[in-house]
Amino acid sequence: MIDRHLLPDEIDLLLDDEVGFGVSPLKAHVRACAECSARIEEARFVTEAVEHLPRFAPSHTFADRVMSQVPVFVPWHVTALDAMRPWIPRSHSARVVVATIAAAAGSVLTLLIAWIATQTDTLTLANGIAGTRLRAVVLDAARDVLSTVLGDQIFTVIQQAGTFGIAAALIGLVVAAAGSVAGFRALAAASSRRRA
Amino acid sequence: MPPPPALDLFNLPDADVVALAQQGRDSAFRELIRRYERPVFSLVYRMVRDRELAEDLAQDTFVKVLNHIDRYRPEFKFSSWLFKIANNVAIDHLRRRQLPTVSIDGAPNAQTAEAIQATSFDVAVDQENALDEMEARELGTAIERAIAGLRPEYRSCIMLRHVEGRSYEEIAATLDLPLGTVKTYIHRARHELRRALEPLRGGEK
Repeated sequence: MIDRHLLPDEIDLLLDDEVGFGVSPLKAHVRACAECSARIEEARFVTEAVEHLPRFAPSHTFADRVMSQVPVFVPWHVTALDAMRPWIPRSHSARVVVATIAAAAGSVLTLLIAWIATQTDTLTLANGIAGTRLRAVVLDAARDVLSTVLGDQIFTVIQQAGTFGIAAALIGLVVAAAGSVAGFRALAAASSRRRA
Repeated sequence: MPPPPALDLFNLPDADVVALAQQGRDSAFRELIRRYERPVFSLVYRMVRDRELAEDLAQDTFVKVLNHIDRYRPEFKFSSWLFKIANNVAIDHLRRRQLPTVSIDGAPNAQTAEAIQATSFDVAVDQENALDEMEARELGTAIERAIAGLRPEYRSCIMLRHVEGRSYEEIAATLDLPLGTVKTYIHRARHELRRALEPLRGGEK
């Protein structure tokens, strides 16, 4: 046992609840020495008081204020994964079932696409029919628009000019619409400048 | 193994939450703030003693850390990195403002007994008036005031040691100080606190 009072460093060792070869004699001395025991008790009173200090909370908008200054770039694969996550079942067995169904559906789709790709004649025919129909639909729509906007008489004149006439009329309409939009925007901007 | 169906950030260790934040997940950033807003704010508040300012400095700390989350090295504890930035932000502010904090136990760089004696501050000549003494009877108030009287370096060391429960080695790594200096600071801080709380303890006896 130590036959002198403890040094400050030795008191710190006991305060920090250090364990080791050199600590036992210090503890033995404290048990026998009233003065060192009182010093330890006094020091422990202070450290326990500090340990019991509360943690203060910032205002409830703190996190939002921080995040307003932290630009978060979310990569597309993270967004995709997050969008899928709610659809993934929680249990392992359910995940296996879903994965099996998804794999089977994927395989069937792949086979279907591969089969369609081999049918070139069918594809060419389907493509031709779809193209013809699409052209007819677009031309009918353009005629309807022009006859509604310009009237039947003017439309008849334009129609006599052929495809070039219809295209020129359509371009004229688009330019007029764009001019109107730009004019309205300029008016709105001037109005808000006056209010400001 | 497939990923969990929903991100349960609450139970993940810091390193995993940081990894998710590095992937750009907003919820991971918010989880880090939720975990550490109180410890960081408390540390900074006890350093600067001004609530509004402490919020601003704690905010600066988080903004710095979260904007450079890609620089985080996982071999260190995230909390140590965060506390290091928080301490630097608070100390920088105190240095800029040159707050009049005077240690009652001599300058931190005083190594000899004479130097400590020459730079020490006698509390007996600065006794608080009776009204203040009565207010300080509340232990929480008294200890807060005693901590406020410590040097900023002592304050951060004692807070990290006893409020955050960090080891000496962690504090040394967090504050970029030699281990011996940390031990000295904590020893002196404890000594100053003991002296500051002596009247209170006397009243309890």
